[in-house]
Formats: sequence, C-alpha cells, structure tokens
Amino acid sequence: MTSALAWIPVALSADIEAGTSAGTLVNGEERVVWRDDKGEIHVWEDRCPHRGMRMSFGFVRGDHIACLYHGWRYDTSGQCRYIPAHPDLKVPQTIKVPTFAATERAGIVWMAPEGADPAELSTLHEAAEPVRSLFLDMPAEATLLAVTAAPPEGYRPIESGTGLVTFQGNEMTVLIAAQPRDAGRTALHITAAGNTSATLRRDLILWATDLRNRVESQMVEAA
Amino acid sequence: MIRLYNYHLDENGFRVRLLLSMLGLSFETVAVDKAPGREQEKPPMLALNPTGTLPILEDGDVRLFGTAAILAYLVRAHAPDSPWLTADAADFGRVQQWLGFSTRELKPAVDAREAALFTSEGASDSDLKAARKAFRIMNDHMTLRQIEGLDWFVGNTPTLADLALLPSFALSRDCGIDHDEYPALRRWLRRFRTLPGFITMPGVPDYH
Repeated sequence: MTSALAWIPVALSADIEAGTSAGTLVNGEERVVWRDDKGEIHVWEDRCPHRGMRMSFGFVRGDHIACLYHGWRYDTSGQCRYIPAHPDLKVPQTIKVPTFAATERAGIVWMAPEGADPAELSTLHEAAEPVRSLFLDMPAEATLLAVTAAPPEGYRPIESGTGLVTFQGNEMTVLIAAQPRDAGRTALHITAAGNTSATLRRDLILWATDLRNRVESQMVEAA
Repeated sequence: MIRLYNYHLDENGFRVRLLLSMLGLSFETVAVDKAPGREQEKPPMLALNPTGTLPILEDGDVRLFGTAAILAYLVRAHAPDSPWLTADAADFGRVQQWLGFSTRELKPAVDAREAALFTSEGASDSDLKAARKAFRIMNDHMTLRQIEGLDWFVGNTPTLADLALLPSFALSRDCGIDHDEYPALRRWLRRFRTLPGFITMPGVPDYH
C-alpha cells in the first residue's frame, strides 16, 4: 500500500496536451505543468527568473517553454537557453527555473521534490482513463472524508494510501487523488482503470459534480 | 458598409469584432470613449442607443444594440446557412440558452473585468464570485461534452454559443481569475483559437 507519498497529483494527464502549459497551486505555491512536443511532462516553479511573470502564461515551442513577457526560452532542465533581446548572448548557467520530479501514473500527472522515486506509485494502475478534475473550496482531508462517506452507487471503497481514495465496482478501479491547493482549497483528480466505458465515466462525472455541489451547500448552511 | 460603434478594450465589442472576422465581413468602426469618458451614456450616443451600452451595430437601415442580438443578426443576414446559428430546433434552443447565459450569468465577469481595468476600487467580491460560478457551470458542461468526444458547447461545430461565451473566459485573467480550475475550458479555448478568422485583443495573448 502507498502511504506518506512524496508525490502530489497536479492534473489529469489528458488535460495537459502536448505543446501546452497550465498553472496550478500546490500547498499555496504556484507551479507550472507543461508537456513538450515529444509528450514529456514537466513541473516547475511558475516564475520566470527575469521579471517574475508566470511561466504558465507563456507558450511551448518544441521542447522549450517561453515566457510571455520577453520570450526568454528554457529547455527541459529549466535552463534558460535564449534571450530574444540579446540573440548573440551565451546565456549564463545561473538563469534557471527551479524544477521538480514529474511523472505520470494512472492517468494523472504527479510531482515530487527532485530525486523522488516514481516506484512509490507502482501500486497504482499504470494507465487509466480520465474522469474529471474537481475543484472544491475546502481542505484536502475534509474533502476526502466527504468522498469516502458518499461513494458512487455500485462502488465500494478499498484500502488506499494517504491523500488517495480508491473505489471498486462495475469491473473498474476508480482512483481519486487529492491535490492540496492551499489550506482551504482542494483539487480531486479522478480516473478509472479496468473495463471502462464513456457511459460509466459519464456517471462518475455526474456523481463527482453532484458531490461537490452537495458538500459546498452543506458548508454554506453550516457557515 | 457595416459600422460598429466600439471601444477597443470593451469585451462585448470584441465579441462582435470576433464574429465579423470569422465571417470574413468588412466593417468600419467608430471609436467611442467608454473609459474614462462614458461617452456611450451621453446624449449624442443615447440617440443611437437609449440603453447607453456598447457595442452598437449599423448595417444599412438596421441599427441594433445588445450583443446577443447583434451576433444573431449578423449570422442571419450575412451567413444564413452557416452552422453558427443552426436550423435544428433543439440545437437552436441550446444556442439561445447559452447566448442568454453570456449576457446574464457572464455579466458579473464582464463587470468585474471592467472594474479591475478602469476603476480604482477594482472588481467586487460578489462579481468575482458570480463570475467563478459561471465559469464552473461552463466547465462542468464541457467536461461532459468532452467525455462524449464533442468539442463544442452545442452540436458538432462551433456555434454562436461558443463565440459568445469564449471572450469572458479568454479575458478572465484581467480580473485575476486564473484558468487552472477550468481544464475543459482551457482545451476548448485552445481549439477555438485555431479556427479560421480568430483574432485577439489586448488581454488575449497572440502567442499561446
């Protein structure tokens, strides 16, 4: 069983298309998730060292990502390689964006401190189909408790690790991985492995959306 | 010649300019000093549009205010057989539903952006909250559409529903609403940007 994971889920793999980037929040810190044209996934600090612009506002060209402000281009190691305003300059090695370990497992993009071992995720299915990411304005632990308390009809919870809920039913394994965005906000990344179909995944989307609406309306009533 | 009374940073003017461009129609613009002058609320402009809003469209003898009406008119008058406004009754109704949404549920997004750009107070919390709620409804809809392999809000092609909804999302960062909570809308925006005739405005990056 996985426990005390170093790996934090940050997106559904399907939602980060090749040649695109997206910003996200992890424990209150801004991160950029981007995929190069070869399909490799990258997670970095979401900040251009030049003027502090968010890299997620920028654009991916080949295996480089460029800042929207002044077009500074960074390779997949985070190293700045090209500054358009100084085309002949050999860019100093010190101009580098801090990077994280990034991997994909069970249809989800995961990040961890550099050097973390992707084998920690090996108990999860290798591949899975996307259901949806669900964004809730409540803390991660409370969100997962709410999920476990109201499984979708026809599914039962099975043992899983910290930050994860797993359901089995309809010849499928449904993985729900919690991303703590900040102290009061959570993203749940939901995928399904096994005998999946668009109909079953649609039912799971509707379940998840309804769960969010019910949980948040309970919060409003409690407030 | 089609004439558009327009303020270049106005989101609703962008909706009309976007459709004109995508339909390949030539037009002239009359610049109205909306910020800071509020010229559209003053007598010379009130004679053209008593509601004091922008944009206003003139096409021959036809003069229209109200963005959704202008969009629907342009398709009927200049691209009547195009899929932007489908003939199928159910899909026509669905397009009207989202057109209504774009002028009603997305109004807080339009107002929040204008307040953020043009006032010292900035966007109100209630407008930002309502704008996020509207984007969430749109994202929920497109999440279901995408699982069925469908790329657009209604039917199998881009319609006025997509065109009328898109500018608020494309410009949402102007009032500090990021795109990270709306993955299905991110993918939809990227697809729409590749359509022939797509244009940008300040706040919608040329590079993406």
